Amino acid sequence: MPKLIKNGEIVDNLYTWQQDSESAATETSIVPMSKWLAEQNTIGPVAGIWIDAGEGVESLTDIDLTQFAVIGINFPAFVDGRGFSYARLLRERLGYKGEIRALGSFIADQLGYLLRVGFNGFQFGEEVDLEKALALHKSFSIAYQGDVNEPRPMFLRR
Amino acid sequence: MYQYDAIDQQLVDERVAQFRDQTRRYLNDELSEQDFLPLRLQNGLYVQRYAPMLRIAIPYGMLSSDQLRTLADISRRYDRAYGHFSTRQNLQLNWPKLEDVPDILAELAKVQMHAVQTSGNCIRNTTTDQYAGVIADEVVDPRPYCELIRQWSTFHPEFAFLPRKFKIAVNATESADRAATQVHDIGLHIKKNEAGDIGFKVIVGGGLGRTPMVGVTINEFLPREDLLTYLDAIIRVYNQQGRRDNKYKARIKILVKALGIEEFRKRVDAEWVHLRGKESTVPMSEFERLQGFFTEPAYQALENNPASLTSKLAESAGFARWYERNTFEHKKPGYRIVTLTLKKAGQAPGDATSDQMEKAATLADQFSFGELRVSHEQNLVLSDVRQDQLVDVWEAAKEAGFATPTLGLLTDMICCPGGDFCALANAKSIPIAEQIQQTFDNLDYLYDLGNIDLNISGCMNACGHHHVGNIGILGVDKKGQEFYQVSIGGASGHDASIGKILGPSFAQEEISDVIQKLMDVYVSNRTDEERFIDTYRRVGITPFKEAAYAKAN
Repeated sequence: MPKLIKNGEIVDNLYTWQQDSESAATETSIVPMSKWLAEQNTIGPVAGIWIDAGEGVESLTDIDLTQFAVIGINFPAFVDGRGFSYARLLRERLGYKGEIRALGSFIADQLGYLLRVGFNGFQFGEEVDLEKALALHKSFSIAYQGDVNEPRPMFLRR
Repeated sequence: MYQYDAIDQQLVDERVAQFRDQTRRYLNDELSEQDFLPLRLQNGLYVQRYAPMLRIAIPYGMLSSDQLRTLADISRRYDRAYGHFSTRQNLQLNWPKLEDVPDILAELAKVQMHAVQTSGNCIRNTTTDQYAGVIADEVVDPRPYCELIRQWSTFHPEFAFLPRKFKIAVNATESADRAATQVHDIGLHIKKNEAGDIGFKVIVGGGLGRTPMVGVTINEFLPREDLLTYLDAIIRVYNQQGRRDNKYKARIKILVKALGIEEFRKRVDAEWVHLRGKESTVPMSEFERLQGFFTEPAYQALENNPASLTSKLAESAGFARWYERNTFEHKKPGYRIVTLTLKKAGQAPGDATSDQMEKAATLADQFSFGELRVSHEQNLVLSDVRQDQLVDVWEAAKEAGFATPTLGLLTDMICCPGGDFCALANAKSIPIAEQIQQTFDNLDYLYDLGNIDLNISGCMNACGHHHVGNIGILGVDKKGQEFYQVSIGGASGHDASIGKILGPSFAQEEISDVIQKLMDVYVSNRTDEERFIDTYRRVGITPFKEAAYAKAN
């Protein structure tokens, strides 16, 4: 069973990241957001959806997100930081409480920032040693800005 | 100036430990070149033509004498005993060893300094007026606001991987814009409204590089408590919507231009609606806390123009010249702002040796409450010198090579390190600066020409701000040969404008001749009060162009 890091632990990955729109969706699929939006009345239950860089989260505004156990956000390149805003908007604006899973080309050295904007699942590529990645699964112990975990900036806590 | 508390200190210490681990993993092949690249850039480390280059932040230009001594010590121990002060109030070391950088950062952390976000596609060092807090006509001291922005931008979790670099500059006076705010991604002008409330005029989408643009106003008056939520809104729109397919079209200026300011403002406002008034709204207590770090030093009650000053001015033309050019009016009677110029002929503009750094630190301790500033124009500033001690400062500055009395004149050039150091450069820039310094060495003539900004960049990235020089020189590569394109009419102040290219580029040895011809056109066309830029704006580019390309008889 493939593994991922979720809530700070290495666990079995129960879901399949379905990258194309063609395959049939199952209850364990994470399907493309665009596919789900187009087929939402017929697609049936899925584990969740994933958002590609460039798509944004606006089209989810009126969707009941509690039906998704997971929302994935793809990083086409780790320097493409759009997903940081998407995760934060999912948490802070759309109130999503389920797993937000980083997919694609993010790297372990970004975990500190990813955690702060609301990610709690990290599906690394197969070449990544998850034990080593877990060692980087923390933010600095102090932050000046508010974030998803602590909305109050340091100036309200100093 | 701002002093770290345990919180600030812990954060930079943790950053040093993090980078030490990243460097170790890179050197052990556990972290690839590609993955290490943005991580080292966000710690100021480039890999350059001959060696790495480390860019150390000097937040909004403020430096204590102890910090400057540490920079002198670091540059001596880990580099070749000099450093380069850049246009964005940073110090660049050109020859550190990559494996030494964690140790250098640890040394910096001991004196409350760092190299955080001095490079990479993130929010960079916030800059401001080098005379902040000591001039009479500013709305308020901009430094507490700069520190607020520094803290907000440091390790901002959402904005560490933007489409491109992001630079913010702050100005607080109508009389001048010494921080080139209109050619920054965001320029902030501190204002007071009719009710006396403090806020910001917000300018967005300025920038140099391949597509130079002067910024446009997005908000005429942003109340100061809303500053951070508004910045979050602007950058969140940019992070999601800025182009990422082409690095030359990735700055926010391209997005603003493509959408138009109306549409861009609409999108920012739509984002801001959700943020305004929330937790990141800055409470008065935080403004007061930050202002508390920038209180006045123990000024004495003094009179302007003490006898020791006026008599020296009368008897020494050299001193009078230095006083006129390199010192500036202070808000307190009996004090003066002194610029220690780093523009001595034979020394690259903005460079200072370790010895010079130590001498400047000593001068600051003796004459200016132990503090210095670094200017956009690549000079050092002693902000609080007693007028009755100016002669002593002048003597000491002369001896240390800081008293070249050309501040603001043709030879007070802004110049990037260029092809002598930089891997990006198409051409060398330091030899051009040297050539101009050697050719225009007659002080009387330079004084007669008056204020002229001459800026030199070794490539289109425009670190030397050539677009906004009254005269701009840009190094270009023509079939493997170094050539130089000359533009005129740029300006970086409140009257910011982008210069126009004169025409085909020139060979290196022709540059001084060309500058001479431009000066001749200016001198023969000017009216009594006109600066070079004013004459240019009145007569246009044609006479300059004709003179520059006229065939010799």
